[in-house]
Amino acid sequence: MSSYEVRALPLYTKEHTWMKTVGNGIVRVGITDYAQKMLKEINYAELPSEGDEVVQMESCAELESTKAVSQVYCPVSGTVAAVNEEAMDEPSLINQNPYDAGWLIDVEASDLESEKANLMTAEEYKAFLDTI
Amino acid sequence: MRQLIYYISEQMNPWRNLAIEEALLMKVPKDTVILYLWRNQRTVVIGRNQNCFAECNVKCLEEEGGYLARRLSGGGSVYHDDQNLNFTFLANAEDYNVDMQMEVILRAVKSFGLNAEKTGRNDITIDGRKFSGNAFYQNKEKCYHHGTLLIHTDSEVMSRYLNVSGEKLKSKGVASVKARVVNLGELSPEITVETMKKAMLQAAEDVYGIAPVKADAGVCDQELIARLEKKNASWEWRYGRKIPFTWEKERRFAWGNVHIRLDVNEGVIQQAVIYSDAIDVEWIAALADYMVQKRFRSPLVTETLETDMTKERSMILKDIELMMMEEEE
Repeated sequence: MSSYEVRALPLYTKEHTWMKTVGNGIVRVGITDYAQKMLKEINYAELPSEGDEVVQMESCAELESTKAVSQVYCPVSGTVAAVNEEAMDEPSLINQNPYDAGWLIDVEASDLESEKANLMTAEEYKAFLDTI
Repeated sequence: MRQLIYYISEQMNPWRNLAIEEALLMKVPKDTVILYLWRNQRTVVIGRNQNCFAECNVKCLEEEGGYLARRLSGGGSVYHDDQNLNFTFLANAEDYNVDMQMEVILRAVKSFGLNAEKTGRNDITIDGRKFSGNAFYQNKEKCYHHGTLLIHTDSEVMSRYLNVSGEKLKSKGVASVKARVVNLGELSPEITVETMKKAMLQAAEDVYGIAPVKADAGVCDQELIARLEKKNASWEWRYGRKIPFTWEKERRFAWGNVHIRLDVNEGVIQQAVIYSDAIDVEWIAALADYMVQKRFRSPLVTETLETDMTKERSMILKDIELMMMEEEE
């Protein structure tokens, strides 16, 4: 069994990002506990700007950690509605709390229903973690 | 892993050397590790997400014929000259092994009878003094691990470029961590750039158990390298990254007191505020508006301003311009 926190509600990608609905067509995006543990200490978050277009499974942000510079692959396509300024100012929030205070961006999803088919449930993601 | 290839760069332009590195990363085949050895002339290399103005006395560096370069990998700023040897291990994710790569460096240094160890985040030290700073980069399939090896680098020049006072400039981005450094050549007279290159190749052979073969010319795509070199030399990549900062400075002149505050992002002034007790208040306010959308630390004097220029205004402008261009030591 993996020792990484996987929460029930969000949907996941194989690139260790999650999404959950937070309101009217708005989806919140972040990285998983597994991802933050792999990255180790995150010291810079480069996030897109409000209004930028993002595409499912393409890079929407970049995180620099003591281990490497890594791309964040977006679980959904759409338009960036908000970015987490606190995480930009204090990237350690992403390590401390990747599913809550350490979220990255809010996206106004353009094609959520059909794109959900490409994402994993918590159970599926847990099983996926056990294979790596 | 079946193949160990080495490539030694024959020239010392940092933008080109970094372009070769990136091109090698794109082209590295499966089952292969490439060991790339390279040197730069007088260069400060900043990390991917660093503010060059917060890390480096850019004007001083450039006036002395040096280069400012930005690398793909994260981390802090380093100074290179021709007495610093850089290494890069490039491989596909499944052939990439940081522990083995580190072992190559430690073994190369130990072959001269020195006892090196890995310490802190990404440093290699002898008796607590750092001679190698390491950084890492990965995309979906490919990775590299690169670093410096101080052989006989001029540490006085190094501190002239890298010691920047942080008081005037508050920036996002990654800050460098200062370290006590040591040149390997001072610890063992046998160590020169040439003997260290040989030791690195020998150590790689020992660690991987494969004799390294020289890269053939085909491993480098010249068109790709030329394109990447252009990117590395560009203002946008070196100065224009999305790393916001504020800069603030105050000074008393014969004509009055002035306090300037700039908000800068992507290398360009987004907002400027000037407080001053000078008599020509309206003109100074207009000057602040005029600064917006100009590149940070670019000259201010232009034709538009010169049209309503008086002798007094021209003096004020010169003073303010100098104050804004000057680097903080």
